[in-house]
Amino acid sequence: MVVAGCLEHAMLVAEGLTCRFGAKAAIDDVSFSVAGGGFVGVIGRSGAGKSTLLRAINRLAPTSGGRILHKGTDVTALRGRELRRWRARSAMIFQQFNLIGRLDVLTNVLMGRLSEIPAWRSLAQLWPEDDIAAALSALEQFDIAQLAAQRADQLSGGQQQRVAIARALVQEPEIILADEPIASLDPRNTKVVMDALLRINKHFGITVLCNLHSLDLARSYCDRLIGMAAGRVVFDGAPAALTDHVARELYDLEADDVMGVVPAGTPGAAAIPALGNAAAA
Amino acid sequence: MASTVSILPQVQLAALNETYRKAVVQRRLRSALAAAVFLAVLVVAAVGAEVNLRTLFTYFGNFVSYFDRILKLDSGARVWTDFGDWFWGWDKWLRMLGETILASYVGTLIGAVAAFALNFLAAENTSPAPWLRFVVRRLLEFARSVPSIVFALVFVIAFGLGPMAGVLAIAIHSTGALGKLFSEVVENADMRPVEGVQSTGAGWLSCMRFAVLPQVIAGYASYTLLRFEINVREASVLGFVGAGGIGQELVVAIRKFYYSDVSAILVMIVVTVFCIDISTGWLRSRLFGREGRA
Amino acid sequence: MSRPTAPDRAQYRMRYRDVFDRPASSRLAMPAMVMLATSILVFGLVDLDFSPARLWSGVHQLGWISLMMLPPDPGSSLPLYLKALGETLSIALLGTTLAAVLAFPVSLLAARNIVRSGVVRFPVRRFLDSIRGVDTLIWALVWINVVGLGPFAGVLAIAVSDFGALGKLFSEAIEAVDQKQVEGIRASGGNALHEIRFGLIPQVLPVIAGQVLYFIESNTRSATIIGIVGAGGIGLQLAEQIRVLEWQKVSFLILMILVAVAAIDWISSKLRFAIIGRRAVA
Repeated sequence: MVVAGCLEHAMLVAEGLTCRFGAKAAIDDVSFSVAGGGFVGVIGRSGAGKSTLLRAINRLAPTSGGRILHKGTDVTALRGRELRRWRARSAMIFQQFNLIGRLDVLTNVLMGRLSEIPAWRSLAQLWPEDDIAAALSALEQFDIAQLAAQRADQLSGGQQQRVAIARALVQEPEIILADEPIASLDPRNTKVVMDALLRINKHFGITVLCNLHSLDLARSYCDRLIGMAAGRVVFDGAPAALTDHVARELYDLEADDVMGVVPAGTPGAAAIPALGNAAAA
Repeated sequence: MASTVSILPQVQLAALNETYRKAVVQRRLRSALAAAVFLAVLVVAAVGAEVNLRTLFTYFGNFVSYFDRILKLDSGARVWTDFGDWFWGWDKWLRMLGETILASYVGTLIGAVAAFALNFLAAENTSPAPWLRFVVRRLLEFARSVPSIVFALVFVIAFGLGPMAGVLAIAIHSTGALGKLFSEVVENADMRPVEGVQSTGAGWLSCMRFAVLPQVIAGYASYTLLRFEINVREASVLGFVGAGGIGQELVVAIRKFYYSDVSAILVMIVVTVFCIDISTGWLRSRLFGREGRA
Repeated sequence: MSRPTAPDRAQYRMRYRDVFDRPASSRLAMPAMVMLATSILVFGLVDLDFSPARLWSGVHQLGWISLMMLPPDPGSSLPLYLKALGETLSIALLGTTLAAVLAFPVSLLAARNIVRSGVVRFPVRRFLDSIRGVDTLIWALVWINVVGLGPFAGVLAIAVSDFGALGKLFSEAIEAVDQKQVEGIRASGGNALHEIRFGLIPQVLPVIAGQVLYFIESNTRSATIIGIVGAGGIGLQLAEQIRVLEWQKVSFLILMILVAVAAIDWISSKLRFAIIGRRAVA
């Protein structure tokens, strides 16, 4: 297992992170560290704990053990206003976009400023001019500023996800946590959204931690992959280091489908027990 | 601010802002207008209903003290200090409650049977003739729209004072309410089995019995139980107009200011309604699973 | 295809025993339930003094009354009736509005996703349930004792009894919101107030508006009833005319009520459609 970088210089460190729901551990003793500016893909089967990991970093999911350090601060200990600031700085992007369907696009983007604005102003919807400017600019970056007055639930999936990314951007994040951002999108929008994330990563140097189901996508966009299985980290390294054998382990028998190719020259010994299992089941 | 967003030039920003403002102002204007209309209607209504906020505030004390009084025995002690004295008429009240429940049971059952007889005629997909459907629907609508207590008022004159008038009032109103719901259940039924049965040469009655009834029976039973629940509540007040049941006792207690009797009877009604709700709810979930609760 | 012969039948019987010889419990369950239901019905009919003679004379009377009702005629009291009808509509509108205003804050306390602790939630729920368990007509009688006869008592009666019902419905609507949208607010750094203001209210407001409209509609019916015990409106006139056996006026009043209720139904379904769209109306 490769741990990238020294702990003091890493921007985000997870130490023995554990999340338990009842008796079942969704993530179990997970440790890794991420240097600033990377595009890290988290891969694995559904139910492997990828989603819980990101949600735990944003503190949406309660942690039952371990720590998360951001530039040396333990974010698992934050409360109140400090916690909300951290949530803004580690911006989440969700599979289902999690926009407020009945509010307009601009207001949705302005939600990203909630942790910085006095509560009375935001509750009365008296947004500062600067924030409106930032929100409109963020929307314009994704070519949807002309939709600012539309209701969010009238937008297509791809447009909604771009609104969600704009919301993430006005949070002035240091890290973006994208939880299966393209799982609800068609192939064309998949490319638009992944390219947007990549642009943010390269242009502003924001670290991106992205859950992906598809291995192909993970290989072409990420510069580092963390593989999870049953709540544990089972792979951590460059995409090139991810051999077919490891992928097969990560995805169990799904590997062939995920890789999109029939693995040629896999050792016969590995294939036979798999077949035997299938026949016995 | 925002190191993560490159702010647009002022001109472009102003244009975007302008378009947004325009769209939002229009929307806000519309909702402000709707609010104003609603408020105006409310004010007109308040004048019509002789609502007087000053009276409300002066009388609010009375409301509180009314509850204070109904929770006091004649001796001045709190009701819960002496259950025997509070529920002194429990045997009579229980009998009246029993009569109420029985009346709603009989009324609901008669109503359900009548609704069952009529609903296939009222449903769009099973009615044998359009004119028949029209007539049956109007009849059901009438029975549903006139509140059961109005029927009770008339029936008390026609059939004499007593629970019989109440039962018939409940039965007629339930026929209307259940007839509509039943026919909706039938309209949602899958018609392919009917074609299947028809293709074997069966007549209208057989089609209903073997192709439609199995699909709808659970919905019928569920709605009937729900109606029974509602009818118990309604039957508890039919006594106000002389149609039998616990309502008769309650109205006497309220009108003659037998304070602690009011609270005792109210408690008995609320507990009974609770028990009926819970047991029919349990029965429905037992019989039809979760979807039957809708 | 030939009919199965006798030996075949025996063989089938052997092979599909549970089709031919169903256990007594499953064969008898249905008839037993029907028997029970019928016997309670018969007992009820006897106990509640049903007799063919009474039924016959009652139906006879009813037929006579129906004849007397024709044609519906308000006599000279039409302006009075119209005013009473207006009063009834006002009672429904004001009562429901008042109930909704009071019920919303309380419903927040009764919703699982707002108040996690059962210590607060359960008492609030039971409180709402008990209010709902008492019929509007009873509340009307109580309020008449407090504020005197008249429409104001009706408004308060409707307000109180709907407070219980709406509080429960609102809290259910709040529990049914899409939690993802609320989560979106939380993940961007919003506090609890933000979650309610931006995540919750935009979602529940249209649902609540629909429910309130529906209640205004159904309260038009309730408001006609509460007049019968003296809480104002058209019900007062109706009960009065029935007591003095003015059947033509009675039928006219009933027709008026039916038309008014149908009109309110129509308006409110249009409004609800405009507010929340067809899908959510049910």
